[in-house]
Amino acid sequence: MAFFKIPNLVIILLTTVIFTIFAFTADRFLTLANIENILTGYSFLAIIAIGQSLTIMARGIDLSVGSTVALAAMVLFDATMIFELPGVFAILIALVAATAAGALNGLLIVYLRLQPFVATLATLAAYRGIVYAISGRQLYPELPTKAVTDPWIRWLGDFFDVERALGLGDFISLPWIPISFFILLIYAIAIGLLLGRTRWGLNLRTYGGSPEAAHLAGLKVNRLVISVYALCGFSAGLAGIILVGRFTTATEALGSGMELTAITAAVIGGTRLQGGIGGVTGPVLGAFLLGIILIGLTLLEISQFYQQILTGGILIAAIGYDRLIEKRKAV
Amino acid sequence: MRLEINKNIIALPLVIIALTLLVGYFEPAFLTVDSAIAVLRRMATIGIMAVGMTFVIMTAGIDLSVGPTLALSGLVSYFTLVSGMPVPVAILAGMASGIAVGAINGIIIAVGKLPAIIVTLGMLSIVRGTALLIGGPTLHQISGHESYSFIGSGALLGLPVSIWIFLFIAAIGIFIQQVTSYGFQISTLGDNPEASHLSGRRTRLLIFSTYVICGCCAAIAGIIDSSQVYTASANFGEFGTELDVISAVILGGASLFGGKAYVINTVFGVLFLGIINSGLNILDVPIESQLMFKGTLIVIALGFTSLSRNSKS
Repeated sequence: MAFFKIPNLVIILLTTVIFTIFAFTADRFLTLANIENILTGYSFLAIIAIGQSLTIMARGIDLSVGSTVALAAMVLFDATMIFELPGVFAILIALVAATAAGALNGLLIVYLRLQPFVATLATLAAYRGIVYAISGRQLYPELPTKAVTDPWIRWLGDFFDVERALGLGDFISLPWIPISFFILLIYAIAIGLLLGRTRWGLNLRTYGGSPEAAHLAGLKVNRLVISVYALCGFSAGLAGIILVGRFTTATEALGSGMELTAITAAVIGGTRLQGGIGGVTGPVLGAFLLGIILIGLTLLEISQFYQQILTGGILIAAIGYDRLIEKRKAV
Repeated sequence: MRLEINKNIIALPLVIIALTLLVGYFEPAFLTVDSAIAVLRRMATIGIMAVGMTFVIMTAGIDLSVGPTLALSGLVSYFTLVSGMPVPVAILAGMASGIAVGAINGIIIAVGKLPAIIVTLGMLSIVRGTALLIGGPTLHQISGHESYSFIGSGALLGLPVSIWIFLFIAAIGIFIQQVTSYGFQISTLGDNPEASHLSGRRTRLLIFSTYVICGCCAAIAGIIDSSQVYTASANFGEFGTELDVISAVILGGASLFGGKAYVINTVFGVLFLGIINSGLNILDVPIESQLMFKGTLIVIALGFTSLSRNSKS
């Protein structure tokens, strides 16, 4: 199972070391509540990072994921609050909207031959504009103060009590696992299988390794690229609906800046910017490594502004490291 | 003087005139000198950054960190002023901060050979964090410095000073790109980095220098911005600023894969964007939809440029 194997041991080692450091230095780091915090706060980010790593594997990038998160969230909010659709349908519509947004990115890249980052930088603005335009919170004055009550949607933001389910409540105390973490696990396995066991996955790796070769080998390159961006949009949509479940509302500014963290997670996780190489464990580990660092720093009461500086620094360091390995291999 | 005729130098102005007339048809007030000055004034800072960005893009690079750099330089100038320094020192300090950001970008990209888009995306976060660390999330009012306010709010010969600065920087940019050997070296570097390297050009130094120019331009824009609204804030140059700047350059026909580009066309790209921005405003399109429209228009325009370029080659 090549696509579940660990991309590099370094990141696991690094995560363990940093985790241990925080466990000793930050007071409330090694508590159940904090573990729950990390799982809740970064499961959805790991989902976005998986989608992002697919576009990077295809030698592209998707800067619009933050806006797509907000788009899915707002569509879900409107569907359940204004049109009062049952939760399942509302969730489906939101996911379709996000997938369509992703597919549109792919169409722009393929048919208008735009550079991925320019196309998605433009749709970043355009999708955010749509979010403002369809915002139920602005169209109906009574909605901003109302919470989403649909049980399906609320369930997405819920927790699973492991102890009680196992009947171990009297013996040990385990953290409550957020539903979003289970969604992440299922999604990661699904994408892992898609990458490792299907023709589509093989084609994607071929294309990422050498677009020329893929084209000459007669692959339907256009369709492949569009599907990759559609899947990236779907990932962002999945994250968006999870966030609505958690916050019980959708804000217009939701997800802004998230593209940076998602790309960072994917790159830390060993997704090569030269294309072709990547998997699902990398971005997931990358997202949680980032989560451990940022939450640990918050517990140490280090200013949020330093964290912003650090996130950028980590991103640059990660690709620097990536380049170093590449060079060593070439020698 | 190598003044080649390029296709865009005719096509783009025609599009701009057509757009202006279209907006003017619905709102005649748009076709006045005052309105033209207002359009230019709004675009001066974007235009200054676009001139710098043109050089970066000619080397097949990109700089996503111009927005926070703008905020940083405004803040640095503000704090220099507050500490009692004279205005020229404040301006130099602001510019130095932008040059420093550009130099960091340049070193990592040119010497470390890392992809510009990821490096400058990281720097976007780093510089914003630094600006917030220095200035906090609050607004800092700049008052009692007439000569500083003059940069953004004053007028010379009937034109706002900020427009003069834009025209001046555009003129320098056009001169450097069209006439000097530096401009020629940059464009050959973008066309074929290998050949450029083999022919003994100092490619690293050239790439490095373009980011320094770009950072410096962003800093100048930041100084104008802060003096225009008498305020410095770490949140100026919000996300989307770099989109405007990059769009202006690409609308001018520059290829993101590097190679020859014309600063004069970038100036037209800036005008095109300015007319879209102001036109949407004057036609009372709601702010939310403006974002949507602009994204769409930019995609269409870029699509046309990219398709026409591809069909040519």
